[in-house]
Amino acid sequence: MADARLVNLGKRFGKTDVVKALNLDIRDGEFIVLLGPSGCGKTTTMRIVAGLEETTSGQIWLNGRVVNDLEPKDRDIAMVFQNYGLYPNLTVYENIRFPLRMRKIPAGEHRRRVLAALEMVELTDFADRRPAQLSGGQRQRVALARAIVRTPAVCLMDEPLSNLDAKLRLSTRVQLKHLHHAHRSTTIYVTHDQTEAMTLADRVVVMNRGLIQQVATPRVIYGTPANAFVAGFIGSPAMNLIHGRIGQGVFEASGIRISGLAHAGAHEVILGFRAEDASVIEHHCGLSAPVYSMELLGDHSMITFRIGDAFVAVKAAKDHQAEIGEIVHIAVPAGACHLFHPITGDRISP
Amino acid sequence: MPHRTFIAFIMPSLCTMLIFIALPLVSLAYQSLFIEAEKPIRVVQTCDPFGCHLESRVDSQALAKLRAQEPAGRFNGLKTYTNPSHLAFADVARIWRQPTGIASKLNQLFELPLYRALAFTLGYTLIVTPLSIFLGFGIAAATNTLPDGLRASITYVTLLPMIVPSVLGALVLFWMIDSRGVIGSALAYLLNEPDLSLKTSPTLTWVTLFVYGIWQSAPYAFIVLFAGLQSVPKDTLESAMIDGATRWARLRYVVLPHLRPLINFLAIISLMDNFRVFEAIIGFNAAANASSVSLLIFEDLRSSDSPLYGSAAASSMLTILCIAVLLLPSMVSNWKNFKLKAGA
Amino acid sequence: MPLNFHRTPRAILFAAAAFMVVWLLIAGFPFVWTLWGSFKVEGDFFSYQGWIDAVAGRNTLAQTGHLVTLGAYRGVWIEEQFWKAALHTSIVTIAVVMVSLSFGSLGAYALARSGHRYAYWILVAALVFRAIPGIALISGYLLPFFRLNVWGYPPTAALVLVALNQPFTLWLLHSFFLTIPRDLDESALVDGCTRFQAFRLVIMPVMWPGVVTTGIFSFLTAYSDFVVCSMLLSDRNQTMVPRIVAFLGTTQETGRPMYAVAAVVSVTLPLFVLIPFFQKRIVNGLAGAVKG
Repeated sequence: MADARLVNLGKRFGKTDVVKALNLDIRDGEFIVLLGPSGCGKTTTMRIVAGLEETTSGQIWLNGRVVNDLEPKDRDIAMVFQNYGLYPNLTVYENIRFPLRMRKIPAGEHRRRVLAALEMVELTDFADRRPAQLSGGQRQRVALARAIVRTPAVCLMDEPLSNLDAKLRLSTRVQLKHLHHAHRSTTIYVTHDQTEAMTLADRVVVMNRGLIQQVATPRVIYGTPANAFVAGFIGSPAMNLIHGRIGQGVFEASGIRISGLAHAGAHEVILGFRAEDASVIEHHCGLSAPVYSMELLGDHSMITFRIGDAFVAVKAAKDHQAEIGEIVHIAVPAGACHLFHPITGDRISP
Repeated sequence: MPHRTFIAFIMPSLCTMLIFIALPLVSLAYQSLFIEAEKPIRVVQTCDPFGCHLESRVDSQALAKLRAQEPAGRFNGLKTYTNPSHLAFADVARIWRQPTGIASKLNQLFELPLYRALAFTLGYTLIVTPLSIFLGFGIAAATNTLPDGLRASITYVTLLPMIVPSVLGALVLFWMIDSRGVIGSALAYLLNEPDLSLKTSPTLTWVTLFVYGIWQSAPYAFIVLFAGLQSVPKDTLESAMIDGATRWARLRYVVLPHLRPLINFLAIISLMDNFRVFEAIIGFNAAANASSVSLLIFEDLRSSDSPLYGSAAASSMLTILCIAVLLLPSMVSNWKNFKLKAGA
Repeated sequence: MPLNFHRTPRAILFAAAAFMVVWLLIAGFPFVWTLWGSFKVEGDFFSYQGWIDAVAGRNTLAQTGHLVTLGAYRGVWIEEQFWKAALHTSIVTIAVVMVSLSFGSLGAYALARSGHRYAYWILVAALVFRAIPGIALISGYLLPFFRLNVWGYPPTAALVLVALNQPFTLWLLHSFFLTIPRDLDESALVDGCTRFQAFRLVIMPVMWPGVVTTGIFSFLTAYSDFVVCSMLLSDRNQTMVPRIVAFLGTTQETGRPMYAVAAVVSVTLPLFVLIPFFQKRIVNGLAGAVKG
């Protein structure tokens, strides 16, 4: 259990800066998720913390020590790999025991710890099997057990759920959350799936192109995205973003007009609102457009419109009827709208 | 991987290669500038029941002392390279100045030892390489057409010429083409020439050696190209079939382009290996009719009274130079390829 | 199954089969013939009467009273003490395989996992080294070996064979190491291993098929070698293949060519017997070396 600090971390591959001047403080026991599209530098950052990559610049602090020059085996870390990295010729029991052997934990302790880890991932009956005899989900749990068996200072996870099918992903996610609550180990988790980030994290670090876009709790990330990128990345569906012009508290773009916005000033702006904050109404109230497509999603329907160049999604009741091409009226409450700078994308506070 | 760890891992392998491959190159270059010390002669009187007479003999004591003093021998500069057993500048100039036609000049040129060896070596390399790849492809294509169950047995028999030690394989064939052997006597019978001997005519010897080279190299091409045939993308083949391509068109537009990198690789490796032809000539006892650059070096080292190290070294340097020239075009084009992949 | 086997035109199938029969005869018949002939006397194998004699063994029957004879084998193995050469071959071969694989797997692992540009250049250099003819290099060894007094001994020849074979060994093993996912190494490193422990405890147990394949090629190189052993070993310590060649000179004089025939069969027969067991590995190894 320990804290971690990344100070001005930078990593360059050839001519590209994959990670740029990254600063991050991670508290003891926190579950931090590095979230972003592929190529944003999240995996590289984690591998630097692990010691599998060297930094070009900056420092890594684990437990109050600078660990830049330490090999992975000398840092108190554990890692769950995307493809699990299990040792194919060892049994499940030996796989989990391996780190204890390598890190010279006294032999008397081994059995107790391995069995405890097995129980935590509910694989006690599989101790004598080889990885080849296990399903994907079971292998993933063995990898997890191997990571927690040592109770390391920091636990690193590199997209551990991405190789599982959708249903398994859901159930394993739930188990992970429960495990972390029981164990409270400092965890750095990397993913490109924003649902995983939002459900698992204590704090989310949204990254893009090597730079941190926002660090905050899921609630804040969802409700108050720091820029248009975060707004457009988080949420399912992502926040609707429309380019237009605001003047005297009224936003105008082709086909849409929203008034009552608490913003003085007149200029170009990006307006954002979430699908669930808008609603379908009877009469025109600022936004009317023909239906582009309509999807039934079980407990609700999602209607998509085309406004100018943008696609806008609005949540509707699960039994709502609408034909493609039919004109539908939508209300967007001013209080649910976010404003972003049209060029930098930064949030504009009212 | 940190540099220190890398060096620790690769040290044993790199050391052996540096000591036994890189270093000798330097030693060879140095050695090629020297020739053997002149043997000191002593006149000695020997008496036997028929009377006494004078004899000239090599003074071995003085020779040993001389060798200890100057182990490399006498400095000869680049003269070893230009002497009659190597580039033979003087002889080449003389032949060139003669008033005879080109054909006669070439004939005389190819009687000089190094040029004779080069002629055969180049001929062997440039004929055997493409033909063995061609034959290997043929075997691979035929195997691909026949039922799968035969694959293992076909591979077994096909591997035999390649697995058998080169000089022994040559011996096996040599005994068969001997005029008393099965092929020799069969050929003599078929061609109605009872005195036919494949060993006496230089042309026939060359042909025999070429055939042996193809026989021995085809299996390797077969294995590589057969593996390549298995990895032809099925989707592309099926698209071609739906698009109406004939068997031949599919071969030309899908299969062969897919095999091209493999064929390039085979060409380089075969060029390298065939240029070293040597054991075949020994096995067929054909040193009288065919000579290769490697054989020249071997004969220098096995020279009866004392090995001609300087001469062998010069031949070695010339051989290495030839190989470098032969391989340069393909290395350059492959380097460009590699650079693209490594940079990506 | 070839892509559309059922629709292959009969003509092509027939042509392929005919071609294959011809090739298989060309490839295999010489060895069968030599094997059969080694049990005959010279009069039959090198018969002026024709090949029928070699098959039927007329002279053998006349000379020995049986259709087949072990005379040549006894002569070569016992009288000419070929068993000594076999012993030397075993020593050299075993030494070469063990050293070659140890050096090679360490080096190839580093090359496969390095991630730096210079690893590629080392592999290219190895390829260039492979192009140099052994006899050319040997002419550079002889004087230093004489002076250091290591000429003529099996360990010297073995070390030279290891060195000359390293380029191929490195390329082959390197291509095998590349097929093992990096996750495995990195798990081991994170679990607390040094690079060498990761190599020894985690990667090598998974790598052993590749090592076996490379070992087979090292074995074949050492077993079949002629140039290195003939130049670097004294007559007393000579291995099998150079011994046979040296034999040929003397048998012309002593008139016992069948001894050479028996020796050739003795050397090649073990290979024929071993190939089926290692065929798959040999094929995969050669095909894989290309990709690396």
